[in-house]
Amino acid sequence: MIQLRSVTKKYKNTYALKNVNLDILSGEFVFVVGSSGAGKSTLMKLLYKEETPSSGTVMIGGINIANLPSDKVPNLRRCMGIVFQDYKLLQNQSVYDNIAYVIRTLGISSKEINARVLGALKVVGLSDKMQAKPTELSGGEQQRVSIARAIVNGPPLLIADEPTGNLDPKNSMEVMQILDQINQRGITVIVSTHDNAMVDYFRKRVITLDKGEIVRDIQAGTYEQ
Amino acid sequence: MNNSKQTIKKKVKKHIPKDWLLELRIVYRIMMETFNDIKRTGIVNLVIITTMAAILTIFGALFRTTLSISAFAHELGNVLEISVYLKPSANPESVTKRIKKIEHVQKVRIITKDSSWKDLKREIDIPDMENPLPDTLHVKVDEPKNINEVFGKIKKLSVVADMSYAQELAKKIQFLNQVVKTTTVFVVIIVAILTITIINNTIQLVIQSRKDEIEIMRLMGVSNWYIKIPLIMQGALYGFLGAVVALVPLNMVQNMLTNVHKFFLIPAPMFASNIVIITMFFVGILFGAGGSFLSIKKHLQV
Repeated sequence: MIQLRSVTKKYKNTYALKNVNLDILSGEFVFVVGSSGAGKSTLMKLLYKEETPSSGTVMIGGINIANLPSDKVPNLRRCMGIVFQDYKLLQNQSVYDNIAYVIRTLGISSKEINARVLGALKVVGLSDKMQAKPTELSGGEQQRVSIARAIVNGPPLLIADEPTGNLDPKNSMEVMQILDQINQRGITVIVSTHDNAMVDYFRKRVITLDKGEIVRDIQAGTYEQ
Repeated sequence: MNNSKQTIKKKVKKHIPKDWLLELRIVYRIMMETFNDIKRTGIVNLVIITTMAAILTIFGALFRTTLSISAFAHELGNVLEISVYLKPSANPESVTKRIKKIEHVQKVRIITKDSSWKDLKREIDIPDMENPLPDTLHVKVDEPKNINEVFGKIKKLSVVADMSYAQELAKKIQFLNQVVKTTTVFVVIIVAILTITIINNTIQLVIQSRKDEIEIMRLMGVSNWYIKIPLIMQGALYGFLGAVVALVPLNMVQNMLTNVHKFFLIPAPMFASNIVIITMFFVGILFGAGGSFLSIKKHLQV
């Protein structure tokens, strides 16, 4: 599903990523780990075309998104779900409206939107909070709303950039379990994190970055080994 | 490249149920976004619409005045004629034919010496004597600016004894026409600059206040045009509403000018009121949307 070939990202004289080669298959659950500044976020941003590589190719579903024109980027992003550390929810809109926002722009009927939003809320266990505003929710709940928004369009790929970065261990575990359930439905999930407890608990494929290079890539791995 | 574009399109479309109401729903939701944006702008809306109304009133009033001045100038131009006094030996009909061939000559009217003499005798008490008046031709020129040229050409004819026309009046009418044209261009430029600047700054404020929201929309894959169109429509709507408010003072100006036309017995230009109103709405909407578009180009990085 995802292929990175000789990907380098350079900011002035600093390498954020150096000659990265990576294959992620459809339906995989992948942890991308590493210390701060290792290049995790840059790698994630390359996948949703927030950044463009200085060299190399980033293939998603057979398309090299490194060359994707800017007016086609929204189309790419609608084919994937993205979850951020700071949730990025519209504070003045309800949980329901936050989740429905993007699919409304596609001209989908209200009935279809309702069905999809309720389905997504059920997955994240927030059916009873659909009218609440993000400010009325805990951090864990806000992140679950953000996950519901990411999956509402039925994407084949979900990218989560430090999704538990702002959460306590209990909420972190809940969020990771939801991501695991989503993965079990066949959606490819890529999670960047420095939460070693979560990585060790779930035993998924672990890719370790250090100074912009992949230094380890093992199946059913842990944070350190 | 084309292949990859097609693949993306197919993948996106796969997630969208196909039905004929799709485009209508998008239009409806964009309109709702526009109204929500306006709602969020709050009391500032009133300030913008009032300012727009003031600018458009000035524009409409000046435009309507220029139309009236043009009508006055045209009417004065209509009465402006060259009087050509012929030599006794001249045949008025043949001279008329020759003059009609001159460029810019619109109409030639023969006033025979007999009819002139009759008119004169009717106006003043003159003793019986031989008619001393010459045959006269009244030559009408298409535009006041061409009168001098036509005058020169007629003067060269050997059968012409003397000629006259209101030279000063012709110059004034020509000057007035020039002033009207220059003022119109000047006013349109000023209105364009003011309108675009006001809308540009307003939309900039809207973009600043919604910076985070726009960033989220962008990251979630909301189309660039879906983000931009409501902002452009917001600018256009300010122009439209400004024009609606401007109708009230403009109507007063139009009534006043109609009275001036009635007083001088000069007909108002055809459809002047409608032309001014349509132009005012067009200018308001166009420059409103234009100002918004420029602001988006400058401040919205999507």
